[in-house]
Amino acid sequence: MPNLSLFLAQLFNGLALGTLLALISTGLTIILGTLGVLNFAHGALFMVGAYVGYTVMQATHSFVLAVACGALFVLVLGVVIERGLIRLYYERPPEDQILMTFGLSIVIVETVRLIFTGISQRMAVPDWGSGIFNLGFMIYPKYRLIVMIIVVVTLLVLYLVLYRTRLGLVVRAGIEDQRIVGMLGLNVQRTFMVVFGLGAMAAGYAGVIDAPIVSVTPDMGQTVLVESFVVVVIGGLGSFPGAILGGVIAGEIISLTSMFNPAYSQVMLYFVMALVLVLRPQGLFGQEGRE
Amino acid sequence: MSLFSRRGLSLLRGGWRIEFAVAVSLLLAPYILPWIGFNADTMARIMIWGLFGLGFDLLFGYTGLLSFGQAAFFGVGGFVSAYLLVNGLVPNVFAALLIGTLLAAVYGALIGLLALRRVGIYFAMITLAFGEMSFFLENSPLSAFTGGENGLPGVPTPVLHLGFATIALKSGQWNMYGFMAVLFLIGFVIARRIVKSPFGAVLLAIRENTSRARACGHSVQKYKLTIFIVAAAYGGFAGGLLGILQAYMPPDAFTLQTSGQLVMQTVIGGSGTLIGPLVGATIWLYLREVLQHIPDIGALWKLILGAVFVILVTVFRRGICGEILRWGQRREALATNSPGATEVDPPRARSRSPREPATPEASRGSATDDAPVILETRGLSKHFGGVHAVTEVNFSVRSGEVRALIGPNGAGKSTFFKMLTGEHIPTAGEIYFRGDQITAQGPTAVSQLGMSKSYQINQLFASLTVRQNLTIPVLARQRGPFRLDMLRRLDRWGAVNRKVEEIMQLMGLAERADQPTSVLAYGEKRRLEIGLALAMEPEVLLLDEPLAGMSPSERADTIALLQELRIGRTLVVVEHDMDAVFELAEHITVFYEGEKLAEGTPEDIKGNSQVQDAYLGGMDEDELA
Amino acid sequence: MSNQKDNRVRRGVSRRSFIKTGLGTAGALMLPSAFLNSAWAKDYPSLGTFPAGASGDSVFVGLSIPLTGAYSATGQDEKHGYELAFEHINAGTGMAAMMDSLKGSQGVLGKKVEYGIGDSETNPNSAVQVQTHFIHDKNAIMISGCSSSAVAIAIEKLAQREKVLNMVGASGSNDTTGKDCQRYGFRSQPSAYMAGKALAPVVAKEIGKNVKVAYLVPDYTYGHTVFNSTQKFTEQQGWKTVSKVVVPVGASDYSSYLLNIANSGADVFVNVCFGNDSVASSKQAQQFGILDKMKMVVPNISPFQASELGADIMAGVYGTLDFWWTMAQRNEYAKTFVDAFDKKYGKKPRWTAHIAYLQSMMWADAVTRAGTFYPPEVIKTLESGKRIPSTLGEVYYRAEDHQMVREVPVVRGKSKSEMRSPEDYFEIVGVTPGETVMPPKGTFGCSLGGYT
Repeated sequence: MPNLSLFLAQLFNGLALGTLLALISTGLTIILGTLGVLNFAHGALFMVGAYVGYTVMQATHSFVLAVACGALFVLVLGVVIERGLIRLYYERPPEDQILMTFGLSIVIVETVRLIFTGISQRMAVPDWGSGIFNLGFMIYPKYRLIVMIIVVVTLLVLYLVLYRTRLGLVVRAGIEDQRIVGMLGLNVQRTFMVVFGLGAMAAGYAGVIDAPIVSVTPDMGQTVLVESFVVVVIGGLGSFPGAILGGVIAGEIISLTSMFNPAYSQVMLYFVMALVLVLRPQGLFGQEGRE
Repeated sequence: MSLFSRRGLSLLRGGWRIEFAVAVSLLLAPYILPWIGFNADTMARIMIWGLFGLGFDLLFGYTGLLSFGQAAFFGVGGFVSAYLLVNGLVPNVFAALLIGTLLAAVYGALIGLLALRRVGIYFAMITLAFGEMSFFLENSPLSAFTGGENGLPGVPTPVLHLGFATIALKSGQWNMYGFMAVLFLIGFVIARRIVKSPFGAVLLAIRENTSRARACGHSVQKYKLTIFIVAAAYGGFAGGLLGILQAYMPPDAFTLQTSGQLVMQTVIGGSGTLIGPLVGATIWLYLREVLQHIPDIGALWKLILGAVFVILVTVFRRGICGEILRWGQRREALATNSPGATEVDPPRARSRSPREPATPEASRGSATDDAPVILETRGLSKHFGGVHAVTEVNFSVRSGEVRALIGPNGAGKSTFFKMLTGEHIPTAGEIYFRGDQITAQGPTAVSQLGMSKSYQINQLFASLTVRQNLTIPVLARQRGPFRLDMLRRLDRWGAVNRKVEEIMQLMGLAERADQPTSVLAYGEKRRLEIGLALAMEPEVLLLDEPLAGMSPSERADTIALLQELRIGRTLVVVEHDMDAVFELAEHITVFYEGEKLAEGTPEDIKGNSQVQDAYLGGMDEDELA
Repeated sequence: MSNQKDNRVRRGVSRRSFIKTGLGTAGALMLPSAFLNSAWAKDYPSLGTFPAGASGDSVFVGLSIPLTGAYSATGQDEKHGYELAFEHINAGTGMAAMMDSLKGSQGVLGKKVEYGIGDSETNPNSAVQVQTHFIHDKNAIMISGCSSSAVAIAIEKLAQREKVLNMVGASGSNDTTGKDCQRYGFRSQPSAYMAGKALAPVVAKEIGKNVKVAYLVPDYTYGHTVFNSTQKFTEQQGWKTVSKVVVPVGASDYSSYLLNIANSGADVFVNVCFGNDSVASSKQAQQFGILDKMKMVVPNISPFQASELGADIMAGVYGTLDFWWTMAQRNEYAKTFVDAFDKKYGKKPRWTAHIAYLQSMMWADAVTRAGTFYPPEVIKTLESGKRIPSTLGEVYYRAEDHQMVREVPVVRGKSKSEMRSPEDYFEIVGVTPGETVMPPKGTFGCSLGGYT
């Protein structure tokens, strides 16, 4: 029985879901755009972020520290992966990179399972985030509200980095045409390393802040990976605005569908993806001709 | 040796060698592999994975399309067959398998039409997403038919009536393995035929260089869709067998893990070998079984296999079969190459040409001023965002003419060429070829109509041999943009092979016929590049900087070759080498900043002060820089 | 005396005639049982892995357990349950020392029980592969272990085909002893129907009779089954369903579904989700303030749900489970099991370990009472309906569908202050006797296959 207040509530919730998806997808999309690497281990990095955050939270009871450590750890892990493995793949076909990162994701997931077992870990909501908040038209968990604000701020920061810094210029130029990065006389190696690290960090960071909401298990990244793929396909290759819009669209689809037939909320996502592929195969913000 | 008759040996050498070897291996396997712990059940499963992998290898190994959603077809075929059998709707096992296979193919067509709208990385992502969607559909909305997460138990095991004997297959018994092995062999033979067919040759071309395959006049999209459907059918058939094998159709057939395992097995065994997926499955299932029964390692088997996979992809991307094949080829190449050592200084094009070169004087002026206009553009423009690469160019070439396009770097010549061939869609304006509009028809159609281009930067089918390279355009010429000749044998198609031979002779590449392009010298690669365009037998041949980067002797050879090619053809050449331009061209069109600056005979252009100011000056700088 | 008889055997008298004459004598009991059994084996035709699997000094049991994948934690627990059971059976200690049939003996019919563990990945295909390996290569005389109904059904089917006894592990679906039941499969866990029927009167008494209910139902067969039986039996108690939200399996964020629940105006929130889905959805329900407004009922509580969610969320939650370790306080068998488990692994068993332990014991008991490993005889013994004292009081398998008739505990989550030890998450608020919760015969269309 859809009514107005539920509709508004779902609309708002869709936005909250969407911003988080947008953050995760941004990480995927800047790596994809700049390095031309589709990181199949993106979901696994999200999961690692959650586990590191959980561990730090257990030890220090400081959420801020947990977020910082989680994000930094995944940043470092990202850099290590880039230097140790991805680097060897720049001259190889994109399919090889997919294969390798796919294998890598299995290694990461199973390693975490080895350390933490498969049991779901409990990361508490920080004290300032517990309880609910009355928005007037609905009540909403305080933590989710704060997360939404944090994510929006993070996306703004990312926007500034991408559109107002030299690094951002390189990343965007690279998305336009990967050869440009080299032509600009920039240190391609270092740029790639930094971008991969940043993209990984976005996933890890999202993982930590999502950890108090979802159940923290080694397999938690798989759904996230698939959803972020859908977001990127909808939004368009390597497009920052595309990832944001795609994320919000995905969030709204899940939320609004669940008002009518919740079981189909996931499948609607694929349906919309198919629709985009038919009507605008390059994605909403994708450029024609870029493959 | 004496046991084999001469005829038998030649039969083995001729074409069926691999099939024979595989059949013998499948026959011997039950007598050997159990010694190291294989059982009938595992081996029957390997056959199913092998069949599943045959389709995937055609798709990924041969066509270069990496799909992470093959489980969808495995599942559809499996559940349709199982449903029909369990509910007694179709009593015959083979009929049920066939229906399952067909429906998997139909589903493949549906997904393929969507997923193939994107390529490469995107294709992988989209197939993965559709795979997940299929799993959801099986699990929830269709659970009344599929049993949801419980799957479909009670798939009857077939009884074979062979006329002379009736065999009741039994799961876990060797007769089940035999059944699966025979079906695998049939699937393998069919896949081999596809690979060796003209259709298969085009698939390889698509893998190696999709845009060039398109430019050679093949309807790439149709080939991709077809092979996607074929792969889906293989998957569906294998899925049907899985239900039969264990009398139970499991829902996990649909999961991402299934697709992932298929990909990993194929890569471990060696993609692009057909037998690779089978070998990969053998190793995967064996290690899985061995590792998980070792105390304290049990739960680590996936981690270990994952790590092995990462290392393998990084170091031995060809996989086990691929590396063995390469090792064999290298040995062979070493054996054939060492005595001659003639490869260092490849023969020049001229000396190999069967025809005497036409002198420039004789051929010059072959296009009379009243010859019909063969190629014309009206107001042709191309904008990239705010950049106006080409602006309102009106351009026409008469049949038989040699036209040069000159202009400094960035003048829009290459963009203009790309619009002519259909690679770029013009922002405005029209293109006419023999009086017909061909604007935005795409490279395949343009090439089939009779206009092809050699590229500024070599666009070869890199890991194919010279012969295979040249076969691709010849096939497009012989059989049009698309034909379903999957079972025709390419090596027995005389007309095609003769034509390829002829072009290799003409281009001076005959001695290099069976070498991969990677070992060619630069000049040879350039000649092959032109040969690819020429092999389409175009009426209009576009040449984008044919002389770029050549040594003086290579340059001289190529100019002579061009003089020969002009006979009976229209040539449009983009070139920076002014001496060559003035030697070759009857008319010259000058581009400057996206616009047509001037047009006329070489003499007109030489004397044109505008051109000198804008272009020749600029070009000196270019040359200096 | 026994020496004399030994000599007679060496002199060439057939084993069978020797056994027939010697069986009645006390001396025969002192002979190695293995010897005795190999003689008995000859009385039965060969079937499945019999007699090959029962001819040596030991018998082999094949276990397919999720070591990787979503259920690896419960798999670990289940594995410990089996390890402990076979250790006890082989040593004649633990519950084996308390059962009439096994008392004083080591192993089963004098044979040591060996076992192998393969990874089922919570994946029927892998489980079948693993068990096929055990049956064909190790002559497994019994197979067990699973983590989901899908695996249970697949393994039961395999067992029936291969004529190898299957003591079903964790599986709560009605189908396991319903439409997919098999002659060779026996299950101890309560079905969804039994859980619902046991739960309803207890929660109606505890929460009230006139309440509105909202359901969160995972969209797969198991979810719908649990929903149906819970709804059916609670409505008989006067509960009213006001909302049913069906959600995709494996979702990680339930916010949009929970908004519907929050909006439903219900008094009770029945969360049918299982495993990680249940953990995530319960946690998020609490964050949405749903647990402040509504009582939560989880019809089938996952093994690690309480420790994964913590007492904050689990306090006041009602539900059923196969077994909770504090049942040790009211049952000697349960106490023996829980203490031994705690001693060996340093933690309390969850119900997955309990199923593994109990089912192994029931098997060993039945084989011993049958006096042979010949499957049809063992099955007939299990079907005989003899009451066996166990961790769950007196139990037996119903001959018609092989469902164990056993008590079903109904629990309520304790608040942190009520907990007397770190793992003391539940209070047992009711134990519904097995006979009262059984479905009428034939309800789920069980048709057992043949013995041979």
